Amino acid sequence: MRVNPNFTPNILTELYLSQSQEQTALEQISTGRLINMPSDNPAGAATLVENLSEQNQTDQFLQNTSGVEGLLQTADSTLSSLVESLNQAISLGVQGAGKTVSLEDQQQIAQQVQGIQTQVLQLANTSYQGNYIFAGTATTTVPFVVNSSAPDGVTYNGNNNTNTVEIAAGRSIQTNLPGSQIFQGSGGDVMGSLQQLVTALQSGNTANIGAATNQVSAALNYVSQQRVFYGNAVDQLTSNQSFLQQEQVNLQSQENTVDGVNMAQAATNLSQAQVTQNATLAALAKIIPVTLLNYLQ
Amino acid sequence: MGSLMASMWIAAQALDVNQGALDATSNNIANANTPGYSREVVDLSEQTPVVFGNITYGTGVTLQQIQSIRDQVLTLQIAQQTSQQSNSQTQLNALQQVQAMFSDPTQGIGANLSAFFSSISQLSTNPTDGAQRQAVITAAQNLASSFNQTSQNLTSIQQNLNQSVSSTVNQINGLTQQIAQINAQVGQMQQLGQDPGSLMDQENQLINQLSQLTNINEIQTEHGLTLTTGNGAALVVGNQSFALQTQTNSSTGMEDVVSQGQDITSSIQGGSLGGTIQVRDQDIPGILNQLNTLASQFATSFNAAQAKGFDADGKAGQALFSVTSGPGAAASFSLATTDPNAIAASSDGTPGSNGNIVNLMAVQTSPLPSGQTPTDSYASMVSQSGNLAAQAQAENTASTTNVNQLTNQLGSISGVSINEETTNLLNYQNAFSAAARVVTTVDHLTADVLNMGSGVTAVS
Repeated sequence: MRVNPNFTPNILTELYLSQSQEQTALEQISTGRLINMPSDNPAGAATLVENLSEQNQTDQFLQNTSGVEGLLQTADSTLSSLVESLNQAISLGVQGAGKTVSLEDQQQIAQQVQGIQTQVLQLANTSYQGNYIFAGTATTTVPFVVNSSAPDGVTYNGNNNTNTVEIAAGRSIQTNLPGSQIFQGSGGDVMGSLQQLVTALQSGNTANIGAATNQVSAALNYVSQQRVFYGNAVDQLTSNQSFLQQEQVNLQSQENTVDGVNMAQAATNLSQAQVTQNATLAALAKIIPVTLLNYLQ
Repeated sequence: MGSLMASMWIAAQALDVNQGALDATSNNIANANTPGYSREVVDLSEQTPVVFGNITYGTGVTLQQIQSIRDQVLTLQIAQQTSQQSNSQTQLNALQQVQAMFSDPTQGIGANLSAFFSSISQLSTNPTDGAQRQAVITAAQNLASSFNQTSQNLTSIQQNLNQSVSSTVNQINGLTQQIAQINAQVGQMQQLGQDPGSLMDQENQLINQLSQLTNINEIQTEHGLTLTTGNGAALVVGNQSFALQTQTNSSTGMEDVVSQGQDITSSIQGGSLGGTIQVRDQDIPGILNQLNTLASQFATSFNAAQAKGFDADGKAGQALFSVTSGPGAAASFSLATTDPNAIAASSDGTPGSNGNIVNLMAVQTSPLPSGQTPTDSYASMVSQSGNLAAQAQAENTASTTNVNQLTNQLGSISGVSINEETTNLLNYQNAFSAAARVVTTVDHLTADVLNMGSGVTAVS
């Protein structure tokens, strides 16, 4: 049987093959990636695009979470100060409604309550990063302005809209309550009750002072209820943060499953390819010069 | 009846014949590494015997012919597989460039889409922040330039392929001319009953080269070889060659291949020409088409989401992206405005509202008219580029294996074995020496005969 006497192309093909296996293993080891070109795994390459987009999204959700956390905490601590101010106003109201208090004293107390009114106005106009946090969505407008002709002494220039921020895929959180709801709510009117208390104290009408103090108490209760919204929101952000961190781990492990190189495997492949290549070269070196002519001399 | 003269003749002829056989062996050894060379074997036979009375005398050896050992079927198969091999190799080379654009998931359209939506999502935490609005514009610009860049790269790969169509057609014409010339000589020799041996080898080599460029059909007729393209357009008929032409297609701007006035571009499938045309006219336009669809549908959807809200100045949202529909969409993808205030984040007209961001973000997660989300349609472009390259790679590996196997088979038939030639060399050398010795012996005998009776003995 005749065989092809020219076997060098075959051996060269084998050499190219082991060389390309060597290069593949080297590339995998040096990049740490299995998919260095889409053709290495077309479906995997598409999965990576989607995976990376989800990872970026999750990173962004984490940033959103910490971004709104500051806003919500500022609002929460502002309302905490508001509760303190209202408590002060209530004790002043109780003091002013006492039987032994003179009209002069009552008018002095009225001035103190007016001081509290000013504080409360400042709290209502609190801003965070240049935005008024109790103006609804009209965050560039000063929400509460003194207006002596208004029944509660102020005008609300904000609106009744709210903002939401997406903090996880399909999950959004409301980031504000409109100022009108907190400071002029139907369940307890902070601005109105304080104004009533001042008026009652100035006039020295004990019954009215008592009634106004009750109004302030009602407003205090109402504000405490509203504060729960911010407290809840901050809690939600905290739990969302750990959810997102878990999500990041999941996505990274998915990425690793598709694209990660098993280093031990790649190193074995590399040394296998090297062994094959050396063996082929050694064989080639042995075979090439040998013909019948070697034995005829 | 035997005679000394007859012995002398036989020996002299044997010298000639073995000399001829040595020539053939020497030629084989000389061409042991010549590509396409088919080994020659000498065809020895006995001379017609003569009969005297009841004795038959052999009259020596004759060299009938020196014949090249070849296998036309294998040669044809090799040509076909070579055609496929070079076809897939050409496709692979071009598709490697194409898929390189989609190889890094942290760059390009996919990553820029994702960064763009991240910047919008970030804006939702503080819609009045000018720096954040600027970040959205910057991300949009990056997205636009990655659309432009990808489109430009694909187009320039396509242009390079287009140039190689023209140069390949020139190479084909050069080869068919040479083949026609050899064909004429081969035809003449065959008519005279001669073995066109080395000319056939040359011709096969040229046909092999031609197969690398395009797929061809080979038909042996009484007028010699006829070569046609895969779909039957004549390339070589006997001693005549028919040149292919290229002609710019007015609608695509690409070079069409024309044979005698007929456009045969789409029917060319094998060889590097077929591979070039496949990637130029099918693969790249396919990906470009997806890219343009994505660019125009994305821009339209995002602009529609903009229109649902209000910009930072309280005006109704205007288009952010400008794009022409159709083939040039990705190339024309650009920003209609670079004013950071133009991002329509607000749903109530106040700058602090982020109510419309939910609509802007929905573009990322809702299907475009194509049925896929923007990220998914980019992902399918990535996997398509990978699939095409992987397919070309697999075809190339398969046809390379085939070519190697067939070449081995042909080598076992037509290849020169040094061992075999050395053995032959020794045989012919021995036979030649022996015949020479016969001549000497007969010479002595003749002298003996001539001196017979003269008292002089031949000196040996």
